[in-house]
Amino acid sequence: MVLAIVMENLKVGYIIEDEVFWAVKGVDLVVEEGTTLCIIGESGCGKSTLASAITGILPPYALTDGKLKLFDHVVINGQLRNYNGIRGKITAYIPQNPGTSLNPFLTVEEHFYYVLRSNFKSDREFSKKIAMEILPKVNLDSSVLEKYPHELSGGMQQRVIIALALATNAQILVADEPTSFIDAHLRLQIIELLGRLQREFKKTLIVITHDLLTTSTICDYIAIMYAGKIMEVGPREKVLRNPRHPYTKMLLETTPILGVKKRLKPIPGEPPSLGKEYQACLFLDRCPYKSKECYSDPQIQVIENSHFSKCWKALEAPWL
Amino acid sequence: MVMKNPEYIIKLENVTAGYLITPPGIRSLIKTRYIVLKNINLSVNKSERIAIVGSSGSGKTTLLKVILGLLKPFSGRVFIYEYDIYRLPWRERVKILKKIGYVPQDPFKSLNPMLRVKDILREPLEAHVIRGYKESKIESKVKSIVKLVGLPEKVLEMYPEELSGGMRQRVLIARALVSEPEVLILDEPTSALDVSVQAQIINLINDIYEQFKPAILLVTHDLSIAQYIADRIIVIENKEIVEEGLIDNVLSNPQSHFMKMAVSSYKDNKNKLKLEF
Repeated sequence: MVLAIVMENLKVGYIIEDEVFWAVKGVDLVVEEGTTLCIIGESGCGKSTLASAITGILPPYALTDGKLKLFDHVVINGQLRNYNGIRGKITAYIPQNPGTSLNPFLTVEEHFYYVLRSNFKSDREFSKKIAMEILPKVNLDSSVLEKYPHELSGGMQQRVIIALALATNAQILVADEPTSFIDAHLRLQIIELLGRLQREFKKTLIVITHDLLTTSTICDYIAIMYAGKIMEVGPREKVLRNPRHPYTKMLLETTPILGVKKRLKPIPGEPPSLGKEYQACLFLDRCPYKSKECYSDPQIQVIENSHFSKCWKALEAPWL
Repeated sequence: MVMKNPEYIIKLENVTAGYLITPPGIRSLIKTRYIVLKNINLSVNKSERIAIVGSSGSGKTTLLKVILGLLKPFSGRVFIYEYDIYRLPWRERVKILKKIGYVPQDPFKSLNPMLRVKDILREPLEAHVIRGYKESKIESKVKSIVKLVGLPEKVLEMYPEELSGGMRQRVLIARALVSEPEVLILDEPTSALDVSVQAQIINLINDIYEQFKPAILLVTHDLSIAQYIADRIIVIENKEIVEEGLIDNVLSNPQSHFMKMAVSSYKDNKNKLKLEF
């Protein structure tokens, strides 16, 4: 078993007005090579910051702590960061908004050229050859090479972005909300495309999302993130059908599903502020199952092989 | 202005609408019509809940602009009650349009950042309702509407940037409701929100319907949300209405390309995850 990503107490934060905000507050996570992991959570829970840390696009003023290892390369070790030879070669990023992520002045062919030139110093001819090999894999024909981004639909732009990430031959792909700007009925197509490509090219795929139902159809593992920490992680079926953290259960109950018309149960309250340090469970204020022990930081509970939860009540699970 | 009481509140007759565009080159001297909606016939009756669905660019938002009196159609007539709004003088049209409350798509861009929430909520009252409305009455109205949408009173003194996405969406709903409209138009009211907040807003819209029974016109591309809010569904595809009916019937027997794709995609999804709720 080769480990593609290893995080040990990884923290990532920013200084805003002389105050440190830890967006990722100590994450321990291991991802095997060739698997798909979905990281699910609400806005502001640190998902995108975690994605930036993996792909090496953290801003220079970001603070880090702990350790992040991608295959054999230690890229974050405390405050030190070294992404030389990693960014674009071992990891590639599929950004959130295809409309604003492509350069409106460049044709699709030129996008391929600049991406491949910056990583491999390749010339136009070689980049065109790679583009023509990759585009059919994402269900686009080579006629799009001459087109500018505005001439493509949202779904086509998203496919071009996926093709650009594949062209680098990076082993780890990180897709940040790949479906949030796409029509609901097209989301599944894009997600299935990602899943198919992951299997075909044997990539390690990390999908960041808050769209629990659509995205999780392709993943092997699901990690539920809340206020900068991973609350539950485990195989997809186990997490969805046997959730061992109340937040996971409540997220499932709050998601509208076609054909099910019972009243939705919103999660009361709001996530805690990122600027504060908490001794108690981070979900305490919103949890209907809280008790005395929840006022101390929960230990990670092992439910079964590769299914973990950060809740004192994970084993008894009164919400099930 | 005296209003008779027809069955419908909004009625569109053979509406063809779109935008005037300037073509490139020598042809730029003559503006050409770019048609977005063709031969639209639609009526919204009292207390009816309708969802307008269609893929991006199908003309849903343009349809709302036509109904809201913001875009004069190339042909056809738009009635609110018995008044053809585009044939009324502007002042009269504004009076009629106060019967419609509008909740725009993006809560992050739709609130004036320079105004406190209380001033945002006062604006429609001052503009529409009611000259000679006493100051104390305006204040109590604003307070009651904030309470209705589930916000604490302290929000009134805040600026939009101090509020979360869900709170901003509630302010937008409050702003639409403050002039006591008979139709509430919601343009993708949850698309910019998280799932947990989305559920709060869906429940809030349903609670408001139960309490005041306004007609609701919801525009969305997400069928699962349409199903929670609406009774009737209208599908727009290639500039035209291609399917229409009770939501349960349309979902169980979809006819248009959009609905077939959408329903099968949801079914696949549900089967793959083997969800049982």
